[in-house]
Amino acid sequence: MNNKFLKTRNVTKTFGKLKALDDVNFNLYQGKIHGLLGENGAGKSSLMNILSGIYQPDKGSIYLDGEKQKILNPDFASKLGIGMVHQEFRLIESFSIKDNLTLSKSNIYKNDFLKSFKKYSEIFALNVNENEIISNLSVGEKQKIEIMKLIFNDSRIMLLDEPTAVLTPQETSQLKNSLVTLAQEDMKTIVLITHKLKEIKEFTEIVSVLKNGKMVAKDLPTKDVTDNQLIELMMGTVKTSTVNKDNEVGKIKLNVENINYTDSVNKIKKLEDINFQIKAGEILGLAGVSGNGQVELANIISGIERVYEGKIIIDNTDVSSKGVRSRKKLNLSYIPENRLGVGLAPGVSVIDNSIVKDYFHTKLGPHLSRNKTSNYLESLVKQFSIKAPNPKAEISTLSGGNMQKLLMGRELVGDPDVIIASQPTRGLDVNAVDAIHNLLIDQRNKGSAIFLISEDLDELFKLSNRLLVIFEGKIVKSFNTVDADINDVGLAMAGVNE
Amino acid sequence: MNKYILTKRQVVNELSTFYSFLLGFLIALMIGSIILLIQDKNPFDTFSLMFKLSIGSVNSLSSSLNKATPLILAGLGIAIINTVKLWNIGAEGQIFMGAIAVNLIYINFQLTNSTSFIFVLLVSAFIGGAFCILIPAITKVLFGVNEIITTLLTNYIVIGLTIYLVNGPWKDPGSLNFPAAAYVGKEVYLPTIFGKLSYGFLICILFTVFAHYLKNSSVFGYEMRIAGGSEMTAIYAGINAKQKAFFAMLIGGGFAGLAGGVELLSQTHRVSTGISQGFGYTAIIVAAITGMRPIGIFLVGSLFGALSIGGSVIQTIGVSTYIADIIQASTLFGALVIQFFFNYKLKRADDG
Ligand SMILES: Nc1ncnc2c1ncn2[C@@H]1O[C@H](COP(=O)(O)OP(=O)(O)O)[C@@H](O)[C@H]1O
Ligand SMILES: [Mg+2]
Repeated sequence: MNNKFLKTRNVTKTFGKLKALDDVNFNLYQGKIHGLLGENGAGKSSLMNILSGIYQPDKGSIYLDGEKQKILNPDFASKLGIGMVHQEFRLIESFSIKDNLTLSKSNIYKNDFLKSFKKYSEIFALNVNENEIISNLSVGEKQKIEIMKLIFNDSRIMLLDEPTAVLTPQETSQLKNSLVTLAQEDMKTIVLITHKLKEIKEFTEIVSVLKNGKMVAKDLPTKDVTDNQLIELMMGTVKTSTVNKDNEVGKIKLNVENINYTDSVNKIKKLEDINFQIKAGEILGLAGVSGNGQVELANIISGIERVYEGKIIIDNTDVSSKGVRSRKKLNLSYIPENRLGVGLAPGVSVIDNSIVKDYFHTKLGPHLSRNKTSNYLESLVKQFSIKAPNPKAEISTLSGGNMQKLLMGRELVGDPDVIIASQPTRGLDVNAVDAIHNLLIDQRNKGSAIFLISEDLDELFKLSNRLLVIFEGKIVKSFNTVDADINDVGLAMAGVNE
Repeated sequence: MNKYILTKRQVVNELSTFYSFLLGFLIALMIGSIILLIQDKNPFDTFSLMFKLSIGSVNSLSSSLNKATPLILAGLGIAIINTVKLWNIGAEGQIFMGAIAVNLIYINFQLTNSTSFIFVLLVSAFIGGAFCILIPAITKVLFGVNEIITTLLTNYIVIGLTIYLVNGPWKDPGSLNFPAAAYVGKEVYLPTIFGKLSYGFLICILFTVFAHYLKNSSVFGYEMRIAGGSEMTAIYAGINAKQKAFFAMLIGGGFAGLAGGVELLSQTHRVSTGISQGFGYTAIIVAAITGMRPIGIFLVGSLFGALSIGGSVIQTIGVSTYIADIIQASTLFGALVIQFFFNYKLKRADDG
């Protein structure tokens, strides 16, 4: 490989106690497409944010063309020709394409805008007028404008943070062609972050892997590494602690039949032919990188999303056309992945949040007397050892672990028949994770049918009896956790199917 | 780096709203004193005179409480609507609409039993206020149109309507050049409890209790709080957030409409542009100072009623009545600033 164009040496970044990047050495080569792999939270976005000057590293240095750079800020980074497309778009929605593309002072195509816009529209297979307002564009089109913005701002180094997460397969392969053209004809240096091995294989020449903030492999030639090697680098050796799974299993409690769902806003098919059943006393895991349809599926089972095809049957009752309330009455509980915002209402007190599930039952209503609600909260606090000193305080004053315990506790009262637990331990510390796991196991032993949605393979292997893998809205594989190979699950999650 | 940032306090003292009101009121008195000193008036004498003339006798006390009644009723309505985290700037218009509804029913129907007729008229006032906020409520829940703008705009429409009515179809020839509708008959005047104190104040107490119950202890109030906190949580809990917002707005509008009805039946006895002297706007101040708490609105509303009466009588010693307005507005300003420091603290910023 030719000369290193940009490199980082010993870059470290901490957020509070968390080491997001730990002594990272990373190299970029001119005119090449680089893949950056890593699980969620591995530090990929943080590294890109440091290169584009948005975060400052605590330690370490950045060299460009062999020269050590002083502290970067976004302005300086863009002068050096480093640009980034973020996971969340940063276009001005109410401005036209032209205004967005020519907004920055580092813009180089102000005078011959139309000519360049035409040229790059062709490369990106973009077919819209330059005066179109951004908010009228589809997600895929916005993505193209984001990347084009980098070109118009004269970026030599283009950092793309999970650009394909929002694209359809056709758009993805289109993006691949465009990026290859940019690298070959314009000598652009490109970094592509993705979870999908297929894209690493198809798009990139060189791949690096981050794990828990450490660069565990760098400068691997993509054509020489196997999927298995990459998965192992990405996931590491998962400690396979496991719980006893010989408990008694009863009759079918949840039956999900032929679910198909298309997002009504951008008309993208989010779920395709989903089928599964869960029995009493069973935990069914759903593995998958987030954004592959998990939230949509959980919302459909819990009754929040009402427009879909297929059937949801709880305890032999078809609830497909029923709302949240009737499903709750059949004793279904839902622990949503978005704790604060969906499961708990921000800006509302601890005590109000503690009765969200049961407030309309006679034991609390019709008058929500102080006494009754206080007693209710008190019994939750005791049973689930929640630290919530002031019931009237806003819910967001609790720690993450205590919020989750309150949410779990509230949903587990009354021994639900069916529990949907979505990313129940994400972002929690070890003790809180153990506590949450024990709650789920207890509930399983009491005969609940549990649907556990998680990205954490360790958690899924530890708790679940069976495992499904979801990828791009489809169940691509199912495993029996007792004899499954963790690498096979990882491969399926990354979209590799042999 | 030596930067400071504001961080939200974890635990806020429950009485913080009360303390900030007290401190805000003190600040307001100081500002008022400075203005009085500039005018060469003795602040202490002026304030004690205001105090004496507003609550010093049964008569002045009842005037103060009568004055407080529309402030409190409209303030309660604002507080109910704010449970879903929406702002009603349209109480002024709703007050006028309540009075218009009373007159409309009064001139078109007659009931022989005056007690039931008064009752019917008060219900009409409530419905009038609710009707007045109907369009802002519909546009809010259907299209997400900002209710602050729409409720504010309805004020201008309703006041325009009032001017039209009292100059046109409802103009009382007997009122000579003053544009006003004819007086309602004595049989529908709200009676007094004692002194000049109108039964309107009793209605006010009843509605304070009702609003307190609705906001804090009813299932509906709970659902409004959740809907106001997060629409997604409401949907998750099976609560129809839009429906709660809609009904909260109608009920809140009704409270302000009732204020207009009570004002007409107990004080002005006829529709004119003088039905409200900015009660609907002062009510926003009252509601905001108390952090939208009904009992607080009752107390602060009573104080503000007294301030208005006190302010209007000190004209006799050559002090402008605006001193009362200045104190009311400065109280809000001071209270909000103090409340800010209860809610936030300055912290040295760690880098990152
Ligand atoms: N601004 C921030 N403040 C606090 N923690 C952060 C911040 N940005 C990222 N993190 C944390 O750093 C870790 C790495 O995050 P990120 O770089 O976004 O990972 P990735 O992009 O690989 O999913 C995560 O644990 C994340 O929670
Ligand atoms: Mg990221």
